[in-house]
Amino acid sequence: MTVVPQGTPAGPPAAPPPNGPPAQNGAGTGAQPAQNGAPGAAGVARPSRLELQRRAAARRPTGVARLLPRTVSGRVRTLAGAAVLVLVAVLAIAWSAIANARDGVRVIGHDAGPQVVTTGDLYFQLTDMDAQLANALLNGAGAGRDQALARYDQDRRKAGDALLKAANLADEATEKSTQKGAEKGTEEATARDLLDAFVRYERLAGQALLTDQRSERGAGPVRDEAMTLYRQATDLMKLDLLPKAYNLTLDNGTLVRHTYESKKSAVQTGRAWTLGVGALLLIVLVALQLYLAARFRRLLNPALAVATLGALALTAAAGVVLTGQTDHLRKAKEDGFDSMLALSRARAIGVSANADQTRFLLDPDRADTYEQVFLSKSQSVLYLAAGNLKAYNDALQKSAQEERPKILGFLGDERAHSSLPGQPRAFAKVVDDWRRYQRDDRTIRNLASSGQRAQAVAARAASARAFTAYDASLNELVAIHRTAFDGAVAEADDGTSGWYAVLPVAGLVIAALVLLGVRPRLTEYR
Amino acid sequence: MRARRIGGAVLAAAAVAAAGACGVAGAGEDSVASKDELVIGVNPDQPGVGARDGRGGYEGFDIDVAREVAKRLGVPRGNVEFKEVSSATREKMLDGGDVDMVVASYSITPERKRSVTFAGPYYVAHQDILVRASDAASVGNVRDLKGRALCKVPGSVSFPRVHDERGVAADPVEAKGYEGCLDLLSSGSLDAVSTDDLILAGLAARSAERGGKPLRFVNAPFSDEPYGIGVRRGDVDGCEAVNKAITGMYQDGTAVKLLRASFGRTDLKITTTVPQFEGCD
Repeated sequence: MTVVPQGTPAGPPAAPPPNGPPAQNGAGTGAQPAQNGAPGAAGVARPSRLELQRRAAARRPTGVARLLPRTVSGRVRTLAGAAVLVLVAVLAIAWSAIANARDGVRVIGHDAGPQVVTTGDLYFQLTDMDAQLANALLNGAGAGRDQALARYDQDRRKAGDALLKAANLADEATEKSTQKGAEKGTEEATARDLLDAFVRYERLAGQALLTDQRSERGAGPVRDEAMTLYRQATDLMKLDLLPKAYNLTLDNGTLVRHTYESKKSAVQTGRAWTLGVGALLLIVLVALQLYLAARFRRLLNPALAVATLGALALTAAAGVVLTGQTDHLRKAKEDGFDSMLALSRARAIGVSANADQTRFLLDPDRADTYEQVFLSKSQSVLYLAAGNLKAYNDALQKSAQEERPKILGFLGDERAHSSLPGQPRAFAKVVDDWRRYQRDDRTIRNLASSGQRAQAVAARAASARAFTAYDASLNELVAIHRTAFDGAVAEADDGTSGWYAVLPVAGLVIAALVLLGVRPRLTEYR
Repeated sequence: MRARRIGGAVLAAAAVAAAGACGVAGAGEDSVASKDELVIGVNPDQPGVGARDGRGGYEGFDIDVAREVAKRLGVPRGNVEFKEVSSATREKMLDGGDVDMVVASYSITPERKRSVTFAGPYYVAHQDILVRASDAASVGNVRDLKGRALCKVPGSVSFPRVHDERGVAADPVEAKGYEGCLDLLSSGSLDAVSTDDLILAGLAARSAERGGKPLRFVNAPFSDEPYGIGVRRGDVDGCEAVNKAITGMYQDGTAVKLLRASFGRTDLKITTTVPQFEGCD
């Protein structure tokens, strides 16, 4: 009574390659004859199974079949060898899946995620640098100027720091896209251009300040020269630096999205393969157990049984860990990163809208453009259908009375994350503060359009405070997502931290147990 | 025997699971990022920007940008087909799959973003005003359009920008496209045409070529018009690929070359740096 019938000798179950499809024939048909008449000849009836078996039996000593073990010890050896091979395959597949998961966590959790916050801040700092430079030039020598310059320096240091980090990440993004054979290096080039423009801005700003100091205050040709330099600097900021800083933030989002999609699918595929090949390992081990039991009339081979349980535990644990990893990755991306990115963008757009409000007052020639851009940017942050800025403000103020106003834009999307603790309250506060800021903005514009420019400029101070309050609330909301993000990333790190040690050790133990189980049986044949 | 059969089943199951996972990753063959042929919607009646060239093809800045982007997406010139769109049909044609991409002086607005995904902008134009030279003294900015006959092209944001956003009560006179506006302006049925400076520059040049009435740019821009490249809503891969192409065009100087080729001889002050992108969501 044997498990393997005489007619079709047992072929060693082929361990599938970790990445390709499984071997065509699976485990069952290794010894089937390949030649049965002209392949593909139409009209030839398929030989019956019995006939095939007969032919196989007749052919047994020749061909591939000769390589298959015919002695008991040979079969035990083959099965044990197969078990070890499949075990190595399971370990390799699990290893690669875990490596993929860790790589995904590294890119999303440790590089791009924090980076998005940094480049969001960068936009803020660059805008503020430009505002402080204007303040310093407008104030003339004195405390106001020193204060403005101190804040300018502070912004500049932070911006330089953020730029350096952005350049690092762009390097990584470039590496990835180059690997894919795509057009190489646009991210890295953007970061480099950004650094270059930053240095040029600094030079212009320095020249403007120096020229202004020489002018000893007041009007005059030297002062005009300082203003010309300032306009060049601010144009450089508006048309070159800020767009590139924003585009770099978007590049981060692209990098994360691609990493997430590819790592998620790699981890899921890896998990399917780990479970599939793990099941195969169990089957081989059970087959070996049954064969030994039948052949040697033993009830149970304890070492082999422990190896089987070990394999079961290993496969199940790997499956659980990989499932956990996809979940942590998803949480980090959807609850954390996506919102951090969207809110960073909302912040950048809001900051630049606020700068357009100032320009609306300072540059009456272009006031129309600044007002149109202000509306467009405001609608990007929080969308309500409106044909003009006044209608937008009316709709926004009216929405305060509604239970759940229908809003779109960055803040509209953010509302979907209300399951996070603390989010609904922080979100409501952001919307309220935005409403207040827009209300103050309306006041300014009404004053300006009725010819009360001085009052409008005075009202700007209240509006600036409202914007600062809004920005602070927005940062609190970002912090809530940052917490969720950091939590998911930490869990993901913990989930896989020991696995590079667990896998080889478990592999060695199981392999040793298998050998321990079959060795005494094999010695019986010596 | 049974053991082997089960083994086969397990392997088959694993193979199916793996194939399923591949299926998910490969979704998106519909994206403009992975197409070998592209149908691009363009304007037929905006000289300098997008117009018929009289030889059965199209010419202008938008056409050059469309070709360049297609090239950078890996689509050879022979596989690019242009199809005419108008301000009124753009969204429908994108949505219905008649065109894969729209490059047609297509301003990104919050309203349009609800039905179209925009790559770019590849350029930020500014709305300005074109009048007959004889009226130039009386029209100094957008507010002077009050009570004057102003061209209105359905689907274009230009008229609403004057009438709704700026609240200037101009009288609408409808035309199908901006070349139609030019004819009406020359014939005296209209007082002014207001749209993006790039288009106005082309119209003024066209009118001069034909020896029409002298026209004058008011040169008082009152809006930013970010020209986007429209792709089907939700095609994030395609949008990102187009953004990468635009970035590359600015980085290697192609964009500036194209701008100079189309507008170098006009009075327009060209911006030579990459615009701030809208983002692909």
